[in-house]
Amino acid sequence: MMLDALTLHPVSALVAWQLIAPAAALATIGLPALVGRSLSERATTRVVAFAFSSCFVAALAVLVALANSSFATRVVHLGRLFAVGHHTASIDLVADGLSIPYVCFSTGLCSLVNAFAGKYLHREPGFTRFFILLALFGTGMNLMVLAGSIDVLFAGWEFLGISSALLIGFFHERRNAVDAALRAFVTYRICDVGLFGASVVIHRATGNGDFASLFAGDWPHATCLVTSPTAVAITLLFAFAALGKSAQVPFSGWLPRAMEGPTPSSAIFYGALSIHAGAYVLLRCESLLDAAPLTAWLLVAVGIGTALHASIVGSVQTDLKSMLAYSSMTQAGIILAEIGFGYRLLPLVHVVSHAILRSLQILRSPSAMHDRHELAAALGGHPGPSSWSLVRLMPPSLSRHLYHLALERGFEETAVSRFVVRPLLKALIMADGIERRWIAALGGHAGDGGRRDHDGGMP
Amino acid sequence: MSTPDRHESLEQMIAAAVRFLPPQGPIDSFVALNPLQGFENLPFEEAVVRAGRLYRAQPFLPEAAYREELARERIRVADVEAVLAADLGDRAASPLAGGRTTLAQLHRQLLLHGVKLENDSAVRWTLTESDAIEQLRDDLEPHVRARLLESASVAGHTTPGRDGLVASELWHACVEATSGTRPAVGFVQPPVRHRDLILAVRPTLDTDAVVHPLLIRMVAAYLDQGVAAWPMPDRDQGMLAAIAGVYAGQFGPVEPWSSRLPERLRTIRAACDAGRPGRITALDVIEQELLHLGVPESAWADTITETLVALRGWAGMIRQLEDRPDRAPVKALPVRVVDFLALRLVLDRAAVEWAATQLGPHDNNAARNVTDQLGRLWTELRDRHPLRRGPGSLSRAFLLHQVSQLLGLSAVDIRGLADNQVVELEQAIAAFDQIVRRRLFHLAYERRHRIEVLDAVAAHRRLLPPSPSEVPRVQAVFCIDDRCESFRRGIEEFAPDVQTFGAAGFFAVPMYFRGIDDWHAVPLCPIVIRPGHTVTEVPEERALADHRLRQTVRRSLGRLRGGVSQGSQSLLRGGLLTSVGGAIAAIPLVARVAFPRLTSHLAAQAAEFSRRRIATRLELARHDEGRLPDGTLPGFDVGEMAAIVRRLLEDIGLTARFARLVAIIGHGSTSLNNPHESAYDCGACGGGRGGPNARAFAQMANSPKVRAVLARAGLNVPTDVVFVAGMQDTCTSAVNWYDVERIPATHLEEFESFRRLCVEAGRLDAQERCRRFDSVPTDVTAGEALRRVQGRAADLAQVRPEYGHASNAVCVVGRRRLTRGLFLDRRSFLVSYDPDADAAGAVLERTLAAVGPVCGGINLAYLFSRVDPLVYGAGTKLPHNITGLIGVMDGHASDLRTGLPFQGVDIHEPVRLLMVVEAPQERIKDVLDRLPSVKNLFVKQWIQLVALDPATGELALQDSRDDTLSFTPYTTESDSIPVAASSVAWYRGHRGNVRPARLLAEAAGRRQEAAVP
Repeated sequence: MMLDALTLHPVSALVAWQLIAPAAALATIGLPALVGRSLSERATTRVVAFAFSSCFVAALAVLVALANSSFATRVVHLGRLFAVGHHTASIDLVADGLSIPYVCFSTGLCSLVNAFAGKYLHREPGFTRFFILLALFGTGMNLMVLAGSIDVLFAGWEFLGISSALLIGFFHERRNAVDAALRAFVTYRICDVGLFGASVVIHRATGNGDFASLFAGDWPHATCLVTSPTAVAITLLFAFAALGKSAQVPFSGWLPRAMEGPTPSSAIFYGALSIHAGAYVLLRCESLLDAAPLTAWLLVAVGIGTALHASIVGSVQTDLKSMLAYSSMTQAGIILAEIGFGYRLLPLVHVVSHAILRSLQILRSPSAMHDRHELAAALGGHPGPSSWSLVRLMPPSLSRHLYHLALERGFEETAVSRFVVRPLLKALIMADGIERRWIAALGGHAGDGGRRDHDGGMP
Repeated sequence: MSTPDRHESLEQMIAAAVRFLPPQGPIDSFVALNPLQGFENLPFEEAVVRAGRLYRAQPFLPEAAYREELARERIRVADVEAVLAADLGDRAASPLAGGRTTLAQLHRQLLLHGVKLENDSAVRWTLTESDAIEQLRDDLEPHVRARLLESASVAGHTTPGRDGLVASELWHACVEATSGTRPAVGFVQPPVRHRDLILAVRPTLDTDAVVHPLLIRMVAAYLDQGVAAWPMPDRDQGMLAAIAGVYAGQFGPVEPWSSRLPERLRTIRAACDAGRPGRITALDVIEQELLHLGVPESAWADTITETLVALRGWAGMIRQLEDRPDRAPVKALPVRVVDFLALRLVLDRAAVEWAATQLGPHDNNAARNVTDQLGRLWTELRDRHPLRRGPGSLSRAFLLHQVSQLLGLSAVDIRGLADNQVVELEQAIAAFDQIVRRRLFHLAYERRHRIEVLDAVAAHRRLLPPSPSEVPRVQAVFCIDDRCESFRRGIEEFAPDVQTFGAAGFFAVPMYFRGIDDWHAVPLCPIVIRPGHTVTEVPEERALADHRLRQTVRRSLGRLRGGVSQGSQSLLRGGLLTSVGGAIAAIPLVARVAFPRLTSHLAAQAAEFSRRRIATRLELARHDEGRLPDGTLPGFDVGEMAAIVRRLLEDIGLTARFARLVAIIGHGSTSLNNPHESAYDCGACGGGRGGPNARAFAQMANSPKVRAVLARAGLNVPTDVVFVAGMQDTCTSAVNWYDVERIPATHLEEFESFRRLCVEAGRLDAQERCRRFDSVPTDVTAGEALRRVQGRAADLAQVRPEYGHASNAVCVVGRRRLTRGLFLDRRSFLVSYDPDADAAGAVLERTLAAVGPVCGGINLAYLFSRVDPLVYGAGTKLPHNITGLIGVMDGHASDLRTGLPFQGVDIHEPVRLLMVVEAPQERIKDVLDRLPSVKNLFVKQWIQLVALDPATGELALQDSRDDTLSFTPYTTESDSIPVAASSVAWYRGHRGNVRPARLLAEAAGRRQEAAVP
């Protein structure tokens, strides 16, 4: 692998900075922590703040430069991972009308959350760990957003997933937190299969992973370069990956549980950036979606379904963070539906402005008491439940049923655990048993010596 | 037993069990209370251990923490020795190891040096990986070391080699000694809940892990005060009926464990609908479930207690809302602990039935029906409950090896012991277990603090100047709060001619109060009082138009804000709002996060601008006898007002020599983004802000009619005395004043100068508070400190806006003269009491009745939250999640977190309150005989009581543990007291607690004062 970043055009250098800065911050605070000599709190936040804010400024500069060239796509070639025969995998970044505004927004938000967390986590035992994960997240985010090839995108996506799961389990001494982290991680890994599959398909179809060989032209008016069936396959796989990250039905169970981590990480991950990663990937390959109406309609169906599900379930949540999680899920569903309907700028604007509003709401969630009392004072009484008139019109038994359904989160988790997880576990245990018997038969040992206790897992 | 009888005994068991639930109510009126209220009938030292067992909590700090304090001399060896001597009493000299040592020596060595108790595998690892047995310990006292080496001197080795020889020789002796005897097996009382019994045999099968998420969801949905847009149906029918109604539906897939729930809940719902009283239905369910669970009736009481305690945050909240529906933040609901228990048992039984099938068929094949099955399971698991194994032989040898070294017992000595002497020694070591060691350390820790404070108080009193003959320029009455101490000290340092007092911050005005901006009236008085009067704040006639305009603007802004926040959660409006308008949120987001102080300054300016235009007054006087809908009386009549004024003035001993200006200053705290905000408000106002009480008091005391009544009763308040009221914000260190426009022109000058004095004192106060914040440099200037504390109050990200009562440790009931000029480090509640004017003890009686439980409660809440931040405290604030507007959970589904968050107690030093009462011992005894529950706190040692004789200044410590108080004279350790030029000079550069000192500035000021003829 070779890096020729030193010989880059200034604008390209600024684009490359988006990776270098957070990665350098990660190394600066991560390496000393690795040898047990963490930086001071102040130094840690300053390093991360410098990385994100310099990225933000650099991204703004690139945005201006791009705007001057009417958002013509600029590919920054950073190096080549490997080349075998006709297959190549290169490290390319893409600066265009989608990625650069998105980077501005994500680095800006990361800067704010960093400033917030510096005070919020003061004297917390996991202080350094939090900022390492935040830097890792920032690196992954920028990698994913600027990715010019499926390989780079995949790497960024994985950074996002792992930092996200580790932050959900930030309080690893609490069982709930670790369970929630594990659940999120498993959901992510299952859906990552989509991205992995897409990577294989793309490499097979084009001989390399570059997006440039998938579509040509400037976002959002690119043209698809692959055949329709390939486009359908790729977009379906992308959509599958997006379902998990964006917590769409039936993969939504992890999102309300993800609120186990510290408030600032909940805000940035589940209110703002991580939850929209799926939408971003779909927007990235929008030209393929144009060629794959099947995927588009599927997105519409899943998106609307999720939005309905989440808005009904959200309306009965009694804790602030779950309520906000379902509100985010509702909007994430709508955004996917918008993409499915063929809009391009609308979902982008929707993502950005939803993320900003939701981060503010999550960061402010500890003052809910204050806000509610203030509101009650202004209105001269508590606003009272805003039950939809629909509910009031329903017969009581029906409304009780619907309420039950909502409180049990649409039975999504029960159904998944009953019809997917448990049969799968059973099959695995059976396979395990068969393997043991075979080994015993072949090795001549008594079979039950290593019998394991399988009751531990999920009830 | 027949059902009605059973119901009655169940009711009794439940009533007994709820005492063990946390006493915390809804979080918006947080009052710090002793989380171990249910154990107050036991002595403190025993109670913490018993409670630790019930709640699985730590009774004291970890041993390592105390050892650190020992190393940095916060605990001294003398303290340890004194505590040990008192603990052992006559047993100190009991011989051990055949007279080679004594119990006292053993305990002393174990406390001061500490030994490691490790299991066999750990010892094996230590043996192979380190030279622990080939080296003598390096912390041996010189004479002990010499003795050990002497024993081997015959062998004629060089010193370094001899060291190793002695150690390994001793090791072999210990191995031989322990191999001759058998290890003890400890008997463990098996638990009573099926869940705990199952968990003991199958650690991965936790029925609570399946029950709790569902139960939390149900209960949270029922109790919700307005987070959810769609509330649970039928809530007015009671908790059991409503939840059974919702969950009775056979709809959707169910988890295997809960497959029989809908059916069971349907029958319950039917029983509820049949028209019997809800309470009876619930008791029926409890009875049936207990019978089904097969727990013998003798174990029902324990089962009920432990079942309730398993999710005690929620259970406790239900109990609080049942007892005090008026404290519900928004909507009082028909809640009952019995409903909760019934529901919980239904779920528990379902989960246990499921778990029984998981345990395998061998446990239940004999039983035909389910009831028998669970009963059999219970009996069988109790029989099988694992015994606590004593340590293995290697582990015992290793322990003995360490202890022998510490005691100076050589290999020869050990070999010389008979088997029973070895056992005796081992038993003595085992009996001195970590709980005992931590208890003794804790006592030593408290002893050192007690000596520092009492020595300082005694020394300070000896140097007391004669009381000044001049009438003070201003008298200021503050709350007794520890946070007011620095403020008062600051005022006094600047102005020797100002006299300050401390009184419980509701200023004897118990009331429901509704301000012009409030939507309903909130109680402002100690939590034990249910006020009988409501006071409203109304706009003055001339401001009516402005008020209406402001209301309209506020209402429309409120609608807009409410609309946005609700809309953003809904489907269609949310889509529109977030996609189009969401970006506008960038403005508050950036402003709040990046420029918190500026933003809040602007917001406050705007609020102030609109608020200041509206002059208000309190509707204090009652004109007719009609009651309000809530049953309270509107305002007070003249007689009631006079009684209130008289009571407060008598309490603080201010019945003569009035200054021309008397300031009454309540306190509260404002901070953003802080669910525990009300924990920082005034405890005497039930977690509310004491400003309105101060204002009401001043208004009463200024009323000529009230003064006339007072004069008739012999309390003459001269006509030229004016009362003014203010509120101190303990977070921003500022004082806001009420009704300034009503101060007569003749007193304006005095008031203005006092107001300026308070501003200066506020700056000093801010500076002193900042020394505790790690993020503020210790050399911060007063001006910068003020900006810092204001910034913290306004910062969304700030989890430590202020430190509340953290570090509180002392309460002084007596004249301010005793403590004036003494640096008490914001750690003392200061209660004004004049022993000379209260021969009958009536004032002392009501003072102690209020101050004992309030200050003791605050102190114990902090103590336990610090000792076990996870069980008694609320843990770290970071994952806190407001639920139902009544409390916080960790993350999305946990028990309600009660107690104080770790960020509020991390600097707290957990010592029991040291209460110094300036009154003759006989009077204290008399008074406490009339206050059995308060007396209980003293005799059971929940509060350390010290009597200070007003005439002689002698101190005496209350040390009785039975029902009669007895005082032992206290002899000071040292008669000198450190002296400092000023408070700043004394604490500068220190982050931790600073010991009391005599302040020269103050002393100098007073000398001047005394010199004036």
